[in-house]
Amino acid sequence: MTSRLAVSSLVAAAALPTVVLTAFAATLAAPAPLRSVDSFSSISDPAERSAAYFVELGKVLTSPRCMNCHPAGDRPRQGDTARLHQPPVERGPDGLGLPALRCPVCHQAANFEPARVPGNPAWRLAPREMGWEGRTLGEICAQIRDPARNGGRSLAALVEHVGGDHLVGWAWAPGSGREPAPGTQDQARALISAWVETGAECPRP
Amino acid sequence: MKSITVTVNGVAHGPSAVRDDLSMNDFLREYLGVTGVKFGCGVGQCLSCAIIVDNADGASETSPTCIVPAASFDGKAIRTVEGHAKGGELSALQRAFINHFAFQCGYCTAGFLNEAQVLLERLARTPIARADLERTIAEALDGHLCRCTGYVKYHEAVRDVVLADSALYLRKGSP
Amino acid sequence: MPMSRRNFVRSVVASGITLSFTRLAGAAPLDFDTRETMPGRGSWNPAIHAAGRIDGVAKVTGAKLYASDFRAGDMPGWPSKTAHALMLRAADATHVFRGLDLSALGGALAPTALVTAADVARIGVRVPAFYEGDLFCPVDTTPLYLGQPLALLVFADFDLFDQARMALRDAAFAKFGEETAPVETPGYGAFRFTRVGGPTPEAPDVVSPVKDGWVSPGKFETAPNGKRPIWARLPIPTGQDYARVAAIGEQIRADLATHDPAVLVLDREFRTQSVDPMFLEPESALAWYDAGRETLELVLGVQSPYEAADSVAFMLGAADQAVRPKRIAMHFASCGGGFGGRDHTPFPLYAALAAMFVPDRPVRLANTRFDQFQSGVKRHAFAMRTQIGVERATGKIVAFAADHALDGGGLANFSANVATVGANAALGIYYAPKADITTYAFHSRGVTAGSMRGYGTVQTMTALETLVDEICATLPLDPIAFRRRNALATGGKTLAGNAYIVSVRTPEILDKLEAHPIWRDRADARAGAPAGVLVGTGVACAAKDYGSGADCSLGSVAIDARGMISIACDSVEMGNGIGTAAANRVAAHLGRIADEVATARIDAFDPLGLVTSSDPYRISQEMQDAAQQNPRWVPAISSASTASIGAHVGTHAAAEAARIVFRYGLWPAALDLWRVPKSDPLAGAWRQALWKDGELVMPGLAPLALADLAARAHAQNGVTAAMTHGFNRWAWSSAAFRVDDEEAWSADIDALAVRRGSGDFVRLDRSAVAFPPTDYNRIGTSYASLCGALVRVEVERATGAIRIARAYSVLECGRALAPEIVIGQAQGGFAMGVGYALLESLPPYEGGPGDGTWNLGRYLVARASDLPLHALEVEVLAPVEPDERPKGMAEVVMIPVVPALLNAIFDATGCRFRSLPVTQAMLADAIRTGAPR
Repeated sequence: MTSRLAVSSLVAAAALPTVVLTAFAATLAAPAPLRSVDSFSSISDPAERSAAYFVELGKVLTSPRCMNCHPAGDRPRQGDTARLHQPPVERGPDGLGLPALRCPVCHQAANFEPARVPGNPAWRLAPREMGWEGRTLGEICAQIRDPARNGGRSLAALVEHVGGDHLVGWAWAPGSGREPAPGTQDQARALISAWVETGAECPRP
Repeated sequence: MKSITVTVNGVAHGPSAVRDDLSMNDFLREYLGVTGVKFGCGVGQCLSCAIIVDNADGASETSPTCIVPAASFDGKAIRTVEGHAKGGELSALQRAFINHFAFQCGYCTAGFLNEAQVLLERLARTPIARADLERTIAEALDGHLCRCTGYVKYHEAVRDVVLADSALYLRKGSP
Repeated sequence: MPMSRRNFVRSVVASGITLSFTRLAGAAPLDFDTRETMPGRGSWNPAIHAAGRIDGVAKVTGAKLYASDFRAGDMPGWPSKTAHALMLRAADATHVFRGLDLSALGGALAPTALVTAADVARIGVRVPAFYEGDLFCPVDTTPLYLGQPLALLVFADFDLFDQARMALRDAAFAKFGEETAPVETPGYGAFRFTRVGGPTPEAPDVVSPVKDGWVSPGKFETAPNGKRPIWARLPIPTGQDYARVAAIGEQIRADLATHDPAVLVLDREFRTQSVDPMFLEPESALAWYDAGRETLELVLGVQSPYEAADSVAFMLGAADQAVRPKRIAMHFASCGGGFGGRDHTPFPLYAALAAMFVPDRPVRLANTRFDQFQSGVKRHAFAMRTQIGVERATGKIVAFAADHALDGGGLANFSANVATVGANAALGIYYAPKADITTYAFHSRGVTAGSMRGYGTVQTMTALETLVDEICATLPLDPIAFRRRNALATGGKTLAGNAYIVSVRTPEILDKLEAHPIWRDRADARAGAPAGVLVGTGVACAAKDYGSGADCSLGSVAIDARGMISIACDSVEMGNGIGTAAANRVAAHLGRIADEVATARIDAFDPLGLVTSSDPYRISQEMQDAAQQNPRWVPAISSASTASIGAHVGTHAAAEAARIVFRYGLWPAALDLWRVPKSDPLAGAWRQALWKDGELVMPGLAPLALADLAARAHAQNGVTAAMTHGFNRWAWSSAAFRVDDEEAWSADIDALAVRRGSGDFVRLDRSAVAFPPTDYNRIGTSYASLCGALVRVEVERATGAIRIARAYSVLECGRALAPEIVIGQAQGGFAMGVGYALLESLPPYEGGPGDGTWNLGRYLVARASDLPLHALEVEVLAPVEPDERPKGMAEVVMIPVVPALLNAIFDATGCRFRSLPVTQAMLADAIRTGAPR
């Protein structure tokens, strides 16, 4: 047996050709698009079309911008990689955190770009029953439709929530260093409206 | 630009014109010279920059300063590490930090001191059961990073301040 | 080859610049040195009555203390306005740098000064040998490493600076051209440590580094795949020394490979990751070139103040007249953590350069945390292969072989030294009759790796202690019993072939571990695990050297006529409590905790008039013998606060000075007050006097208050202050001095100045000086402390979430100068060990910290909620004798925590991890799949 040192793999593994100019610069690109409502017209079955609208809307709902604060447990996630929020914060009794490290202390009325900290006047964790993390789109759909698990919202109120809520709207203007939710809030409103109008059908779980 | 007035440790500063994107940390350190407020990470992760904000309702809370705009502190009253001792008398918490050898390099100390002080004031308003004390301290301080000490002595110091004045901080007759 | 640990080519300054460390003119009430002297004017001193650290009040009141706290307006005599410098660094090391694009700044934010590679070349800047490599990446070359500086931009005020850094943050400020291979440079060092003992423990070694010298392979592979050393003995050996040692080493490996059924051989690989020291205060400096006085002033927070001064002076020593200071004045602040990462950092060079390019304007250079991750020195990632042979019948190690490869990153820094220290620690607490270890540190385009707590040994001992755990499980043999059988005995030989010269109390530590409930009850704990939870217990031990093989101590002690004591030392306060430790150590001789302690004061020792030459690691015996004829010559003047030397070395010179103040100041005063004539035998009985409650006590005589003694010492013109220098090369230098007309004073110092009454310091010539022989440079270490750790973990089967339920750390460190600080260091070492084992990791190259996007949050260090705050027990063994010298312990307390955690994880899950860190995701995966085994 020789004493040859096993460094070759160490060196070879290093030879990744990727060029990273600045990691943040890459996220300044335009957001991913959403399909328009019209583009679903080829689906003749209204129920099927309705479910298809929701699948498209699901691109928004499952983006990190939404999912990070609709966690399964009591800790939000953060960033495009959806890592557990640091510093460690918990939902607390009102969804605004424990007595120390309350959400609005850091997350103020608007994004603070110098520190890339997101902000909105209503910044908070979605209630526990609205946790989406780890669920299929079909399960999320059933949950959203269920007033017991959507904050007592009617279908019309859901349209307003997705299409007009200021905090939800933040998802499309999340500040530098974060990928915006796909499309625009108006497009999302059109999709959820169309979903409601076609019977609010859910995709199969 | 915005014109702001901030009361720091009881002394009003301003009005000062600040850019909207000036952080509170830079305002305090670079313009007011309040360098007891530290800069650790700049992204709200270590809380070495945390200060106390005294709200109008009488309750106080801590806030990091590195990730929030100075402009948002207009009209507010804050306390920093420089403001805890009164007339040259150290606070009970400051003495406990020293007596417990709670810190080593001391760079995180201001943040821990402010957080623990806010906790004490909260407990004085709303006493807790003895059985909840360690957990309550742990929850309050967990946002603060310390690289030297392993945290043990900080937590023991805060606990001992509470226990030394349990009539003030703990529910009577609580287990 | 006279190469030793932490060896580097020391550039002797031939710059013509006076490295002046005298105090600044103007005694403003809050000048820098006053601010940095603890406990602070008029402040309560907690160190008295052991009620706290001497810097306690300053640190709980937010006093200006750290380098990052100072602006020009805080420095008396400086201009009031501060300019701010912005460093631009390369986030790419595989494309040609084609220059800057600062268009994002527009006209309004144009910098006052721009410093690039071309600018520093133009003015004739020299790069100190230790930092060899371009200070800035020249245009049309590929950056040497990720994070290499491209330019310094200086802005007139903070507002402009703040806007400019925002404007540049997301801008493509660096233009890159075609893709290239990463820049290749020769490796940083390659060594082979081979020892074969004689037939009996007392017999001379067949081969050992001490006996045969340290050897390096003479041959390196050529391109294309790096320049790895060729360890095998070549047919045409390039050096007889290496060839002979290599032949013996290869034989050890051949023996291990023979599949002898009587010997259990395990052959394992282990990898460790790069991590950041993550001291909480990012590097920061304030610099001002006063062109009128031709003086460069710097405010710095580093662990190596003397080196920083030396390096800045060398850098500018041959520069154009207009930018060559005549004098450099340095001001060293307390550090917001260090952990090695502030030892020999290039940061001061850049601060000095910024100042030279904006004469007369004080300029601040301060890292953000992103900058600190991108440019601060890192812990070396190791790839290790370890082979160990254990005789099945006896459970004793018969042979050991290991190969280490260290990724040193962009600059050499301490890579070669980390390699050798790691290799010398590879046997941990054990004795092996035959051992062969190769180690190789190589350049990469990663961020530079250098000194960090553990210094190679936490890597190699983690590999070792996890392997020992596997050996014990395989034999099988109880892990404590295995350690008892194989522990290096007192007087036994280390890998290098020398014995420790301090007590290393392995048997006692093992007894403590074995008797502890965490260990004793481990089977019950495992059996009683709640549903869905896996419970396991792990043990590990580490013996860690302290000292670097060329450590200096400068200290002075003065007592005034009222009995107030002042201490100054060259050691740096970085949280380790050096000021408090020095005060406590001096108090043993003077009966009172110091009223003032000043640290990092390399300027305070001019009266010693020390000179040096050469390199203490490389000097020959002949050169040393010749040089020491000059009574002012020492092998080195001041060294870094590093290598766990605070207690042992950092307080040494002050303690020796205190002994002299007592013997030649306070003792004669006592005799006078007692009216004991010099002729009385009692006059020579000073060793029998004791301090009790601030009074000097002698049987049969009236106790004397320190204040009265001090007043009398001043009145009779006795010695009221002393300053000394000590040097340690695995043993102290020693000399004799004639302080009075009676017998000479012999002590472990090599320079002395004394002050009588209120006079000036007078240097005394030494006689009978003895410096440690230069061949001590072959010793790996002669000083070590021991620490053992037990941890109990609970792993959630479904999620892999790990909780440390209980832990115990037991150590020995001689006399603990500040026991509470020792315990605090052990608790902190535990936390850092947890972070290293379970949380912290930096990718080496692209996507790693060199790209400038890393910060906390993404990088996880241990929070309180990761630790067993109320179930971590620390025990410090009492010293073997009351006046046992203090031993370094700041590093050793971290080391066993890491392998103990991995061993506990194995015990809980049956998974044997052989890389760090072990994250929750890896644990969940391992529990699900059953790998790795």
